Amino acid sequence: MIDVILQAFASIVLDPVTLGLMFIGTLAGILAGAIPGFTIAMGVILTLPFTFGMTAVQGLATMLGVFVGGFSGGLMSCMLTGIPGTPSSVATTFDGFPLVRSGRPGLALGLGLWSSFFGGMISAVILVALAPQLAFLGLEFGPWDYFSLIIFALTITVSLSGGNITKGLIAGLLGLFAATVGEDEINGVARFTFGFDEFKQGFAFLPVLIGLFAFSQLLTDVEDDKRAKSPLMSQSGAIVKVEHRQAILIILKRWVNLFRSSFIGIFTGILPAAGGSISNILAYDQAKKASPNRSNFGKGEYDGVIAPEAANNATAGGALIMMMALGIPGDIVTAVMLGALMIHNIIPGPTFIQDEPLLAYGVFIAFFVAHFFMVGLQAFSLRIFLLVTKIPMYVLASVILAYCAIGVFALHNVVFDIWVMFFFGVIGYFMKKLGFPLAPMILGVVLGKLAELNLARATGISDDILLFISRPWSLFFLLMAIISVIFPFYQDARKDSLFSKLYVPISMIILSLPLFLMGSPVRMIVATILVLTGGYFLYKRISSLNPN
Amino acid sequence: MNIKKDTIVAIFLLLFCGIMINSSFDIEDPGYQGMKASFWPTIVLCLLSIMCLVMLIKSVVTEAENNINSNDTNLTNVFFKFKNALICFLMFVIFLAFLDYLGMLIGGVLFVFGLLTMLGGFELKKIIKHFIISIITIGIMWSIFTFGLKVILPEGEILRIW
Repeated sequence: MIDVILQAFASIVLDPVTLGLMFIGTLAGILAGAIPGFTIAMGVILTLPFTFGMTAVQGLATMLGVFVGGFSGGLMSCMLTGIPGTPSSVATTFDGFPLVRSGRPGLALGLGLWSSFFGGMISAVILVALAPQLAFLGLEFGPWDYFSLIIFALTITVSLSGGNITKGLIAGLLGLFAATVGEDEINGVARFTFGFDEFKQGFAFLPVLIGLFAFSQLLTDVEDDKRAKSPLMSQSGAIVKVEHRQAILIILKRWVNLFRSSFIGIFTGILPAAGGSISNILAYDQAKKASPNRSNFGKGEYDGVIAPEAANNATAGGALIMMMALGIPGDIVTAVMLGALMIHNIIPGPTFIQDEPLLAYGVFIAFFVAHFFMVGLQAFSLRIFLLVTKIPMYVLASVILAYCAIGVFALHNVVFDIWVMFFFGVIGYFMKKLGFPLAPMILGVVLGKLAELNLARATGISDDILLFISRPWSLFFLLMAIISVIFPFYQDARKDSLFSKLYVPISMIILSLPLFLMGSPVRMIVATILVLTGGYFLYKRISSLNPN
Repeated sequence: MNIKKDTIVAIFLLLFCGIMINSSFDIEDPGYQGMKASFWPTIVLCLLSIMCLVMLIKSVVTEAENNINSNDTNLTNVFFKFKNALICFLMFVIFLAFLDYLGMLIGGVLFVFGLLTMLGGFELKKIIKHFIISIITIGIMWSIFTFGLKVILPEGEILRIW
C-alpha cells in the first residue's frame, strides 16, 4: 500500500508536467469561479477536451485543479464586488462583502481563502479514509443493488435540483432515453436510428454534456443584449494584500465552526446533485444558529465567512467520495470526470480503487496538492481577474462556442459530434427556459447505459423480479428513492401539518428495515438507533398533535 | 388566449413519446436469451409518458401562473427576446454546414468574427477589433490542438486545393 501511495505521490508531485497542468488548471478554475455567469462545472467541462491527449492521472489532476480553484474563485468576486461568482459562494457575500466595506478587504480575503483551504484539507482526509471503506461496501452489491442505487441517484438529483418535481423526473427520463439511442450494448441491436448510420454509435456522452450544459449556458449569458455588450463587471475592485497570518489565527480559534461547516460540506457533497450551492447556505445557517454573536451576522462577522467557504470546498471531497467508491457521480463535475475516465477505458465502480490503485491514490494526492496551488495562486489570479472582468460577455461567449466545437471534434474526430453538441445545446437552452432542471437529464445520460446493463445482468441471472425488494441493499436504495421523491413535498408542506411532522420519523423507521435484514452487528446497531430515534420523534410529535 | 406553456410542452412531449413508442416496435429481436433490446427503452418511454400526462393534467388543473400572454405570442416580441440566441443558432448551423469546405481554421475564424460582429455591432472600430480577436483566439486554439494535442482538425477543401 505504501508503495502505491509513494508511486502516486511521485506521479503528481515529482512530475513537472503534471504540476504545470495543475497550476494552469487551478488558475483557470479560480477565474471560472470568479466570473459571474460561468460556473465551476462549465470550467471543468471546457478543460475536458485538453485532457484527451494526457494520461488519466494528468487529466484528472488538471480537472481537480479547476474544481478546487473554482470554489475559491467565487469568493474573490463576491467579496470585492458583492456579486457571487458562483452559486457556491452566495452565502459568503452576506458577511464577506460587509467586512470588505468596513475597511478589512485583506482580512476578508484571507479568511475566505484559508477557510477554503482548511475545509478542503478536512474533506481530503475524509476522502482518503472513507472512499476505500465505501468501496469495500460496494463490493457487496449485485446488479439488483446497483440498479436500485442508480434509481436512487436519479431521484435524489431530481428532488434536490429544485423546482418542479414532475419536470425534474421528465428531464431524468429524457436523459435515460437519450442514452438508449444507437446499438444496445447487450445484443448489438440498433435502436431509434431512423435509418441514419451516424446514430448507430449512439450519442457520445461528452458532446451531449457540453451541449446541454456549456452551450446552453453561453446562449443564456448573451440573451440580454445590453448585459452581453457591457463588461463582465461594472465594478471590479482593486488589488488587495491578503492578511494571511491573522486570518489563520482567527480561523483556528473558531475551529468548531470550521469542522462543523466542513462536515456539512462533505455530507452534502456525498448526496448526488447537492453541491456547493446548497452546502454554503446550510453551513452559514448553522453557524448563525450556533453563534453567540448572532446579531453580528450580515454585518461582517468572521464566522459568516468561515462557514460557507469551508463548506463549499469540503463539498468537492464529498462528491469525489461517491465517484471514487461507487462510480456514481455526486454532481455534474464528477460526472465529467467519470466521462474523462471512460475516455481512458477506465470504468469507475466499487472495484476501481482495487483495480486502479495508482490512479485512485493519484486523485487523492492531486486533491490535496490542488489546495496548495489554490492558496499560492490567489494573489496572482486576482490581477488576472481584474483584467478579465473588463471583457464583455459576448466576446467570451463567441470564442468559447468556437472552442466547444473544436474540443468536441477532438474527442472522436467526427463532425457528427459537433452536430450532437449543437442539438443538445438547443434542447438544453429551451429546457432551461421552460423550467426543466438540467442536472437530472445529465445524470440520466451518464447513468442510463449502466442502469440498463445492470438490469440486463439482474434479469439474466434470475427471472425473479422480487429480488429487487428482497435483497437488503436494493430495498434500502429503493426506499431511499421513494423518500427522496417525497422530499420536495415535505419541503413545501406547512410546518404544523401532520405530513411534515411524520415524514422524518417514519422515514427513519422504514429505512431501518433493510439494515436489520443485512444481519451484520454494526448495521443492526445502526438500524436499532434509527428505530429508537424515529420512534421517539414519532411519539413526541403525535403527543404534540393531541395534548389531551 | 388562455393557453399555458406547460400544456403545450406536455402535449409536445406526449407526441414525442408516441412516436418513439411506435418506433420501439421496430427494434429487432435477435432471439437471444435474456432481456430484449426494446425492454428498457419501452419502460423509460412508458414512465416518461406517464410523467408527461401528469404534467398535462397539472397544467390544466392548477391556477394559471405561466399563461402565454399576448406578448409571448407576438412573433416580433419573441424574435427580439431570443434575438441573440437565434443569431448564435444560425451562425453555428452555417459554420457546421460549411465546415467541410472552409475547414476548422478558416471556418472558425469566420464564425467567431461573424458572431462577434452580429452580437457586438457593426461600427468600424469594433469590426477591426472583432477581426483581430477572431484571428488570435482561433489561431491559438487551432495551434494547441493541431501541434500540441496532435488532433487532425478538418482542413477544408479550400486549404486542400490551395
